[in-house]
Amino acid sequence: MSKARKRKKFLVALAFILPFFILYTIFTIWPVLQGFYVSLHKWGLMGKQKFIGFDNYAKFLTDKNFWGALKNTAIFAAITTPMLVVMAMLLAMLANRGTKMKKGLRIIYYLPSVLSVSVASFIAKYTFTPYTGLMNGVLHSLGILPASKELQWLQDPKLVWISISAMTVWWTIGFSMFLYLSALQDISADIYEAAALDGATKRQQFFSIVLPLLKPTTWLITLLQMIACFKVFGQIYMITGGGPASSTRPMIQYIYENAFEKNNMGYAAAMSYVLFGILLILSLGQQILQRRGED
Amino acid sequence: MKQKKTMGHWALNIVSILLAVIFIAPILWALAVSLQHEGKQIKSVVDWFTPPYTLSNYPDIILNSSVPTWLINSLVIAVVVTVLTVVFSSMAAYAIAKLHFKGSSMFFLYFLLGLMVPGEATIVPLFITVNQMNLIDSYAGMILPSIAGSMNLIIMVTFFKGIPNELLEAVEIDGGGAATTFFKIVMPLSKPIIATVSIFSFVGSWNNYLWPLLCAMSSKLFTLPVGIPTFAGTYTVDYVKPLTASMVASLPMIIIYIVFEKQIVAGMMSGAVKG
Repeated sequence: MSKARKRKKFLVALAFILPFFILYTIFTIWPVLQGFYVSLHKWGLMGKQKFIGFDNYAKFLTDKNFWGALKNTAIFAAITTPMLVVMAMLLAMLANRGTKMKKGLRIIYYLPSVLSVSVASFIAKYTFTPYTGLMNGVLHSLGILPASKELQWLQDPKLVWISISAMTVWWTIGFSMFLYLSALQDISADIYEAAALDGATKRQQFFSIVLPLLKPTTWLITLLQMIACFKVFGQIYMITGGGPASSTRPMIQYIYENAFEKNNMGYAAAMSYVLFGILLILSLGQQILQRRGED
Repeated sequence: MKQKKTMGHWALNIVSILLAVIFIAPILWALAVSLQHEGKQIKSVVDWFTPPYTLSNYPDIILNSSVPTWLINSLVIAVVVTVLTVVFSSMAAYAIAKLHFKGSSMFFLYFLLGLMVPGEATIVPLFITVNQMNLIDSYAGMILPSIAGSMNLIIMVTFFKGIPNELLEAVEIDGGGAATTFFKIVMPLSKPIIATVSIFSFVGSWNNYLWPLLCAMSSKLFTLPVGIPTFAGTYTVDYVKPLTASMVASLPMIIIYIVFEKQIVAGMMSGAVKG
């Protein structure tokens, strides 16, 4: 190929790449570097104030609110991840049975996932409100909760995690259910038949055939859910505002409050790198898992 | 294998239906509340579901509140984000996968880095960057960062690599350039992957909360996720108006989902496996 043609080819390729390259560099890569620069400064909404080295990093190591937010995020991940995995598998199996309601069940189980985060949060918030909300109302009607008693779903520190976790599973489980459904549909009917011929009971089929074959999907959902948990902000911010008494405040909310309410962007940027590190490890795990699944 | 209609079969049917009721109950409740007169006395949960009904809350929200503006903002931003994501990502992906030029693997590695950058962890410097560009409180500021992720590009590179080179060379021999090949051959062959990328971009933008919360300052630029809480916050006791607003905000998506369920799920799943 002549030099001129090579040059032309390169310029054409560049023209195709450039629009995305520019956006990607400015809005995805540059903030990672800029964030580090910001984290070395006292930095307010109006801009740079002064260079303070690694003081922002030293500060969060002894900030009990930072550790509290990290703990809350970890609690949230520890509760919702197993809940979501087990429920998603159950829903997928129920919606995969050869009944007439199959299609209806799939649509209904996924329906909450269609709601925007704020709608889902407000429906949940009102559902969990005492006296007039749906949850206590139903419990009263069924006689589970005495008429004189109201459960404070969002104020009681013991109940609040249950409420938020239940809402999150309700709102986000649809996608994981479909991941399990597509994995279940990849299991050939022959395998079940062969197992049945060998005299395996339904229970044995589940534990020695279905569960092992679903293992890659289970890992994928577990990691995706843990990633989602460390990114949690919207629903908690709107339902409890991080309360009662900061007991549900997640990492991103604490970063948000420092940057935009306490005017301390340098500190917020420094804390962001902890979140970055956690998410990096989790998403590396996810990448490795998916690459392995493709081969 | 024929399933025997045993006790177990019926028990599982009942569990399926019970779970379906639990999943749909909050949505039906919100719908029922939106059909009630404001200020109705609620003695038990049943009262939320009983007549008299009224539709009057709906015109009130649609005509006298900002909810329709936010709905339109959400839709317009989601559509623009989707179109630009498809166009820019597929152009770059095509160059990397099919225009064998010097440095293409360097570009690919550079774009792979982006998969490791969680947007949530760079939100503070992103705000500073966008602010320095004077794009805070503008549509451009809300849209551009949403099309800068490299996930879709990587999915597309994988897909484009599967298109046989012979097909593209035939066009080149006929005198067509890279642009002709791209629009006439590559794009039409890539409908499935474009559908997948579109669904992810649209849903991602539709549900984006943190960035519009920071970027949109004036109420006329709010998207639904940002607007709904400010609207609901003005009603502390009565849920009728906030839940009517929630329904106005959700019904378009619910209807689109129910009508196109099959296509949406197929698109989502092929992306999830390929991604």
